[in-house]
Amino acid sequence: MKHYIKWLVTCVCLWGVVFVFPSAGLAQNQVPKAQLPVLTTSAGQSPDVNTVNVIMEEAGVKYDYCDVPTVAMLKAGVGLGGKTSGEGFHVEIHSDLVKYPKGTPYKSIIFAIGASLKGMGASGLTIEDELKRLKEVIDYCKANKIFIIAAHLGGVSKRGAPGGDNERMIDGVAPFSDYLVAVEDSNKDGRFTKIVAEKKIPYTEIKYALSLVGILEKVFE
Amino acid sequence: MSREWILKSIYIVIIMFVIIVSGIQFYNHRHYDVPIPAGPGVTGVVKLSDYNKNLKGTIADTNVFFMEGKEAGGKVLIFANTHSNEPAAILTALIFIENAVVNKGTLIIIPQFNNSGGRNTKPGDGYPLYFEIPTEWGAKKFRMGNRNASPLDQWPDPDVYVHYPDRQLLSYLDVRNTNRTWPGRAKGPLMERVTYAAMELMKREKVDIAVDIHGAETMFPVTNCIVVPEKAMRIATMTSLMVKAMEGFENHVEPSPKGFRGLSHREIGDFSDTMPFLLEAPLPFLDQPTGPKTVDLLLKGKDPFLLSLSKQKKLFVPYDESGWPMEKRVGQHCSVILEILRQFSRRASDRAVAVGNVPRYAEVVKNGVGFYYHDPEKAKKENIYYN
Repeated sequence: MKHYIKWLVTCVCLWGVVFVFPSAGLAQNQVPKAQLPVLTTSAGQSPDVNTVNVIMEEAGVKYDYCDVPTVAMLKAGVGLGGKTSGEGFHVEIHSDLVKYPKGTPYKSIIFAIGASLKGMGASGLTIEDELKRLKEVIDYCKANKIFIIAAHLGGVSKRGAPGGDNERMIDGVAPFSDYLVAVEDSNKDGRFTKIVAEKKIPYTEIKYALSLVGILEKVFE
Repeated sequence: MSREWILKSIYIVIIMFVIIVSGIQFYNHRHYDVPIPAGPGVTGVVKLSDYNKNLKGTIADTNVFFMEGKEAGGKVLIFANTHSNEPAAILTALIFIENAVVNKGTLIIIPQFNNSGGRNTKPGDGYPLYFEIPTEWGAKKFRMGNRNASPLDQWPDPDVYVHYPDRQLLSYLDVRNTNRTWPGRAKGPLMERVTYAAMELMKREKVDIAVDIHGAETMFPVTNCIVVPEKAMRIATMTSLMVKAMEGFENHVEPSPKGFRGLSHREIGDFSDTMPFLLEAPLPFLDQPTGPKTVDLLLKGKDPFLLSLSKQKKLFVPYDESGWPMEKRVGQHCSVILEILRQFSRRASDRAVAVGNVPRYAEVVKNGVGFYYHDPEKAKKENIYYN
């Protein structure tokens, strides 16, 4: 019996973390609205983009994913021009193809910020290559009014000394985003608070990455 | 007799004394068996050699515990002590064997996967031969093993280990490392026969999930994490998010590299339908720049040199005066395994696995590991197995 009570308490807490805590956060921080179809991608090739993808699934938001999309692929819209996964290159198409047939222009893009030399190496990229690619993609998004969401979910492990790999990825994406989300641990030094204040970007800080579920539900409501 | 011969005789006597005393200690260590009282969930115990007859009669053969639920469901293999110098693994496995009640699906547990490694030691590093876990009924004594199988059981080593089937060149020592010999061969070197038997088990039993429990240095980046190939990435990521949010501990996800062969998290995924998960908990005992390798360091994980390195930000995990005690490591493993099962069951309801009566992180930290072990003296003899 004691075990079942513990299990029940765990379930209630779980429900709270997934649905209630994020909503409570939203009351304090108004989140902007974004439209589908949406593409998820990485800025720095860390595994944090997997976290974003899992969170999208939990939030019930259909998405396309590519770890290293080019401007040409972005231009091709939903379906990413029929590209398929290969060595160091991953593509997943989960968009609702009835509502958004292949070729429909993307309205939103989510960048998971976090540098991984291993990840970039697997994709045959240097840091300079990755920053150049990101600039091209962001320029295209700005020119075509694609809503940019930047998420930093890796906490301290995805931060570093000024000029380090992770900081350069943050510089490459965060100031150009239309909405920024970071976990508390990522913003211990106020780095993201400073960026959003200077650039007047809507910002939500969350305690746990899991809280992003509720936020994305609202953003794509 | 000359003075020179007297001295030589004394030296010979001293050397013989050291050899005999240490030889007896090594012999006793190699032949010490840990009693495992099977809990209420255990429905059968077989040998790993049932899945590869070429293991029969060798020291590498080991017990496989089956815990079948009342209701049909998926199957999960948990194996511990792939590296026997990472003992949080066997301690976790025994908590499951002695306590778990399986309501749906089947748990299959191998507590001492590299049985030869579990009877080996590392004298050059001054490893203790045993360690004890305090319980309510006294201390439960375990062998402290080594990373690799004993050369007494698999000899000679090659100059370079050529991995099968990829032919990647690995260190000569890895031929005795059961986390480099996957997927193995039926008649290969002894450790390849062990991993081959486990692959056969997973294929014949149609195992959905395999969990390989480990520990890793605090100075090694692949620590405090779940290592998975692409096909297990979603479940691992959700598990990591959940334990962080619900239980307050970090356990990030590391992708299994495709180019590094022989590891469980790579080969099980590539050569079977099973989804592998390799769990790493921080293990200060394994770090190189520590004080003596004592039982205290093993169990409490406190070391002044690591503390100094932590202050210089040289470690990959948070580390303070409290060290990294065994309770935290075992508790993490328990919670992560339970969460993997829950996340898998959410996604595959027809293959769900429901397990009860296994403590989670906070409970193990509060009660200690020994709280969950039962007195073999009070158990029925037919319910006791030795590893």
